[in-house]
Amino acid sequence: MTDDPSTTALTDVSGLAPMAHQAAAPVTNRGVNPVPGQSSRSKLVERSIGTVALVGTVATVWLGIWVTPPDMIQGDLVRLVYIHPGVAWVALYLAFGLAAVSSLLYLWPRTRSLFWDRLAAAAVEVGVVFNVCTLVSGSIWGKPTWGVWWAWDARLTLTAVLLVLFLGYLALRRIPAEPEVRARRSAFVALFAAIDIPLVHFSVNWWNTLHQGATVLNPGLKLKIHGSMALTLLLGFVALTLAFVWMLLVRYRIGVLEDWLTANELDLALVERQSEGGGPVDEGTAGIGAMDELSTDGVAVA
Amino acid sequence: MRYVIAGYVFVLFVLALYSVQLVWRRRRLAQAVNRAAGPGVVTSSTVPAGAVTSNSAGEVVA
Amino acid sequence: MWRDAALVAGKDLRIEGRSRVALSQVAPFGIVALVLFAFALGPDRQVMAKGAPGLFWVAVLFCTVLAIQRSVSVESSDGARDGLRLSGIDPAGVYLGKAVAVAAQLVVLELLLTAGVVLLYGARIQVPWMIVVSCLLGTIGLAATGTLYGALSSGLRVRETLLPFLLLPISAPVLLAGTRIWQAAMAGGTPATGMQWLRLLVVFDAVYLAIGVVLFGPIQETA
Repeated sequence: MTDDPSTTALTDVSGLAPMAHQAAAPVTNRGVNPVPGQSSRSKLVERSIGTVALVGTVATVWLGIWVTPPDMIQGDLVRLVYIHPGVAWVALYLAFGLAAVSSLLYLWPRTRSLFWDRLAAAAVEVGVVFNVCTLVSGSIWGKPTWGVWWAWDARLTLTAVLLVLFLGYLALRRIPAEPEVRARRSAFVALFAAIDIPLVHFSVNWWNTLHQGATVLNPGLKLKIHGSMALTLLLGFVALTLAFVWMLLVRYRIGVLEDWLTANELDLALVERQSEGGGPVDEGTAGIGAMDELSTDGVAVA
Repeated sequence: MRYVIAGYVFVLFVLALYSVQLVWRRRRLAQAVNRAAGPGVVTSSTVPAGAVTSNSAGEVVA
Repeated sequence: MWRDAALVAGKDLRIEGRSRVALSQVAPFGIVALVLFAFALGPDRQVMAKGAPGLFWVAVLFCTVLAIQRSVSVESSDGARDGLRLSGIDPAGVYLGKAVAVAAQLVVLELLLTAGVVLLYGARIQVPWMIVVSCLLGTIGLAATGTLYGALSSGLRVRETLLPFLLLPISAPVLLAGTRIWQAAMAGGTPATGMQWLRLLVVFDAVYLAIGVVLFGPIQETA
């Protein structure tokens, strides 16, 4: 996600020569690759999902805080059940599951397409946000319930490990590389993380329950949910899921635009240089040479 | 009840902030793309099927 | 594949034998870590003895990261990695060989660290075979995942900071299992409690070794 010219992927060197001839002819897009567009239909879908998500969330909050009754055992604290399990479901299952499946689809030769890679990246980034919400809302719920801000409860611990795995994925993606290389690397990391999660799940469950002296902590388990509570709970899940979908769509679009900009940086710079210099740029110029040096400096050396 | 409010406020605040950031980021990128591509922009249909598709009229919209 | 693995393992171990990096740098680091833990936890030997299993495994994890860094950097100069790929050696063999070499170094380090923990923390081991088995299985798991992640991050200049960040969460099951088994071993505990952890380690090792054998080749094409 950097704008450093040294990260430019010199993917299309062959385009240099033909472009030189194009300088005199009238150019569309000034000779650079066409920009991926977004149809008005998909924009409409995105807007509607966003609106419904917003309305749903507001409704959940209103219902959760004012309309629904407090619980017999937990009192008002039960109101957190309308958002905490919702964000947890999105972060742990929806976002992570989508990222894992997308990564797998990218790695599978028959379905390989940068679409899956970008989708996975979007899912992970949005997933991180929901993950943080899960941890904090869980912690806030825990303080009055268990008396501590944090407990090594199996679920909280698993969520924390997942957060670190997500962050590792994002850190790996920040490293400048050609889109395909970055995509493969990220997909592998996502795959390994996906395989690790069940193993961590079992480990942490046994760890927590076998440990002498610890109580099994489960704030939400003993609730009897019915009536307006059930409705609000369902609404919360739906609203948060739609919010995730909307964020995913926007983040995906951002990925497309970013990749286009990065991929075409060189071509754009060349076109600008052409229009400055008033003539075709040939490969021996210092500009290209400088680009070469920059690129070997920035690109990973095996 | 304090805790409940705190929890709701945090989650909503974070989600709202992130949403705003997404929209702002996309707008900034779309402007950069528009500037870069110049007038008379051509769109491709190379974007795969899904939520984000290109249309035949060929316009770049954020 | 096995012969290639033996070749690569032999090469790595011979390099280690001549340069003695693991011995002269990683081992002292492990000991220093143990000493620092002792400073951090205070002079109460009871507390340290109780914490010994966890501290041992954390020290092992740190040493693993260093060992993996070393294993990856051995081939980073003079295009050695490309040479390895072009030589026709089965990538799965390369993977197993490197993992075995790392595992061997780790086992030696663990012997040292075990001695350190017994001497420095007063840890008393009642069921030695559990210690041995847990160390072996844990080492295999760490070497398997470490070599995999080492390959993934090879050639990246940010490898030093990225590798631990990626590797350590993945190693969490090993840390948990190893610590639990050690605790059982120190408490003279029933093998029953240790058994399911051992089974977890076996599954962990099998899964990641399988992944490594299959995917090491494709990963190398990425780096």
